[in-house]
Parts: sequence; C-alpha cells; structure tokens
Amino acid sequence: MDIDDILASVDRGAGASTESTAIDHQLLTRFWVAERAVSEVLPWPAPLMERMMDRVRLQIETIEDLAASSADTDLSTKQHTHNPNLNLRLSILQTDLARTQYIIRSLLRQRLSKLTKHSMHYLVKLASRNKNPLSQTPSQSQSQSQPPPSQALSPEDSVPDISQVTDYAPLSAQECAFVHAHQTLLAGHYGGSFMGAFPPQLRRLDDNAGGTSMVQGPDMKEVVFVRCLKYEVPVVVEGVDGGEDLGVIMRMGDVWVVLWEGVRNAWMKGEVELL
Amino acid sequence: MAFPFPQGIAPSEIAFLAEMEMVTIVPRQRLEGLELLGGPVEPLAPPRRASLPLWLALLLKRQRRANIIPPTWLHPEPLSLILEVESQHQDYKHAFSPPPPLPGQPSMHEPGPEPTARPQYTPDGEKYFAAPPFLPHNTAQARTSSGEVPALPYHWIEVGNMLLDAASDDLMDPDQIRRLLKDLREVRMSKMRAGVDVLDAAATGGGGVALTGVGAMELGEERGFLTGVVDNLRKIGASKEQARREQLAEQRANGGYNGTQDEEEDYMEF
Repeated sequence: MDIDDILASVDRGAGASTESTAIDHQLLTRFWVAERAVSEVLPWPAPLMERMMDRVRLQIETIEDLAASSADTDLSTKQHTHNPNLNLRLSILQTDLARTQYIIRSLLRQRLSKLTKHSMHYLVKLASRNKNPLSQTPSQSQSQSQPPPSQALSPEDSVPDISQVTDYAPLSAQECAFVHAHQTLLAGHYGGSFMGAFPPQLRRLDDNAGGTSMVQGPDMKEVVFVRCLKYEVPVVVEGVDGGEDLGVIMRMGDVWVVLWEGVRNAWMKGEVELL
Repeated sequence: MAFPFPQGIAPSEIAFLAEMEMVTIVPRQRLEGLELLGGPVEPLAPPRRASLPLWLALLLKRQRRANIIPPTWLHPEPLSLILEVESQHQDYKHAFSPPPPLPGQPSMHEPGPEPTARPQYTPDGEKYFAAPPFLPHNTAQARTSSGEVPALPYHWIEVGNMLLDAASDDLMDPDQIRRLLKDLREVRMSKMRAGVDVLDAAATGGGGVALTGVGAMELGEERGFLTGVVDNLRKIGASKEQARREQLAEQRANGGYNGTQDEEEDYMEF
C-alpha cells in the first residue's frame, strides 16, 4: 500500500472525491427506483446514505456561504461590481440540492409506508433472527401451541421484543425503533377498542391457528421489470426439493418481466436493475 | 398514509429521472465549474460544447444562456429510419427496435466479440454497472461509427418532448420530429398491447416476458396493467402449480426420505 492508496481511502471516507459523488448519486437514484418498484423493504444501504447525508449537509453550508457573500457584496458595493453569475450559481446549486432531497425524502417515505403496512412481519423477522436465548422470541410455532393462561394477555404482549436486537437488517436503526413504537401503539389501540373483549387466547396479533398466519408479509411473487446488466443472468426459482432451478436466461441490455423472487439474488449482486 | 403514490415509479418520477440524462449544449456565457450533488459540472466557456444533465441544460436554455444541441437520434432522418425498422422490418414485427448498447456491449447489428460488462467500482468497493439515465445516449457526439443504425434511448419520449417544448428552435424541423415521435409511439404502443397474450409465461416461476427496447414512459404507462394481468394469471394458475409441486415432492419422498422436509419448512416462511 503506498501513499496514493492511503490518500484515496481518506478521500473516500470524507465523501469528497468527485468521482464517487457521481457514482453515489447514481446508486442512490437506482436504489430509489428499486425501492419504489417492489413491495418488500430492501436492505438499508447505510454507508451510501451516510455519505449522501454528509454531502447534503456540506452542500447546504456551501449555499449558505454563497448567499451570505452575495448579501455582503450587495451592501458594500454597487450592483455592477457584484458577480453576475452568483445568482445563477446559487439557483443551480439549490435546484440540485432540492432534487437530491426529493429522492431521499421519497425513498424514506416509501420505506415508512411499507413498514407500517407490514410492521408485524418485520418485527417478527427481526426478533426471530436474533437467536438470543435470553430474549423471548415469539416465533410462530410457539404462539400457536399454548398461550400462558396465568396472566390476561393483551395484544401488546404479542409485539416482539426487539430491545436485544443488534442486527437491524434490512432496516436502519431508526426505522427499527419506529416500527416497534408504531406496532406497540397499534396493539394498544386494538386492545382498547375491540380486542379487549375477546377471550385471552384470541388476543395475539401473531396468531397462526389453523395454519394460517395472521402476520402478512410483502408479496415475494409479484412481477417486476428488470434490465439485465451482465452478460447472462438466469432467473432462479426455488425447486421442488428446496434447491434452485434455473429459468430463462436474460442477456445483457434485455428488459424482462419476471417474478421478483427469481431475480432477487441477482439484484442484490447488482447484476440486474429494477425499472 | 406515509406515501401517496402506488408501487412502481410514477410518470412524474419518470420525467424526473429523464432530466438526469446528459445532453450536449453550446453555452453562450462563461460559468465556472460547479460541484453538484449529482457530480461535478464542467466549466462553461463559449463556444466549447459541454455535457450537462438535461435539467440544467433546460434551466440555462430558458434563461437564454445556452443552446441545446439535439441528441444524435432526435433528427428527422434517424427517427424515420427507426420508424421504418419498427413498422416494416420482419424481425421486429412483435418486438421493439433494439436499444442503444450498454458499455461493453456490441451493437445488435455487428456481431462482435462476446459482450463483457465493464464495471465501475462504488466507494464501498462493489461492482457497479452504469445504465440509463447515466449513459451518454442523448449527447450529440454519441455516434460511434458511421454505419451505426440509430436507436431510441430508454427515455426517448420524455427527452424528445421536453426538448420539443423548451428548445424547439434548436431542433431541425421540429414539426417533422413531433410527427415522427407520435408515429413511433403509436406503432410501439400497438406492439405492447398485442403482446398481452404471452404474459402467461411471466406468471410461472422461472419464466419471463422480454420487453427489450421498451421506453421508460411506455413501461410506466403499462406497468399497472401488466402487473395486474400477471398477478391474476398467477392466482388462477396457483392451484395447478401447487398440485404439480406436491406431485413432484411425493415422488421424491417415495424415492427416499433424506431430511429435505426441514428445508422446505424454512422456505414456507416467505
């Protein structure tokens, strides 16, 4: 490793290098389109979002400095000496900032709307994946068998406890906190308005009596539009024996209508792009 | 509640994406380079040409600070050529004309070496393959070789209409272009509709329907309809698919049980 590599890595960390600015912008745009295209919440790209938020913060400072300097020149000197391009530059910078902020805002709101729709699904997923023996994980089989008869259950008790959870994927830490608070409020409301009148064993929100789970997740079998970005990418489907069967082969530059579960892994690797 | 738009990118958002396409301009005034969040913008020095995102080019054009040089494909001759391919050519009776190639992909018309995607690297060290709207498909010097057949870029409807609206004085024969764009749209729309009966293939696992060459706005228009049709076909075919799977699983179970059942239960969660 020579000094250039070290400098380059420092550059990357600060999010200052100009090439990575352009690529990050393209990645953010692509992620936004993908998030809008499917019904599941996609893995939160934490490093990318941190870099983007840093840049937005820096850009706002730049714009404020520029605006302040234009106000100074207006006060101190006459109109003709003041840089004629300043207003143009300011308006370009502000338009660019507003465009980026729009993408970020739309992305976050889309994720929130998916989270509120399938809040229980994501909570159960988070709680069950963290195999911590101390934290009670109300997995689906447990809840089905026997509810503890001693205390009167309220719907809030069926909200999984995620205080021990350290791995938030696919959510961000804030989204995780939000979805837990949301579900607790919702459970309290259900309990107060109608579920309190039910027999205690019917008050769980993750009931799956009769083999039908009440927790609704996103539809993994929905159709999506993808563009293939590598030479050949196969559509992969789950085979009958739990293995993988190959479906049609997509070629570079092709646009296909396929099932989301068939291209999900290829999307994770960046080999296809959602449209 | 948190978000009013339905799933899938909306037409206004498609137009927003199209504004990220790079176009070529001739500036009328100087402007120092800018560091934007979308990437750096080169300094403008007339009469040197520059490549800018479409939104910035339109902003400068409206203030009469620049002229836009129309994209290579947005001229009457290439458009009528594409129209001819779309409507007359045997190979494209039921398909769209081929899109402009991605980087590393040879064009459809000159079978070259095997395409190898040229990745860039993200700051996280992962591979990244650029795609529209971040490829120079709408710049004026995009022409690669003289014998190249022109192709419609992904955002052709949006870029074409925006340039016709805001910069028609920079285009060659805007009325003719408008007419050609309209004809192209109609030809391609009828192909899109005619293709509905093959959608059954997309409803089965592992299958799919190719729409190569489709435009962003055309996709946006048909998205709701196509996904609705395929979803319903899938529901109709679900019991058949289920029966087939069960039959296969049964055959396998009779052949010998080797603990695959646990695996299958894991998949049931999804």
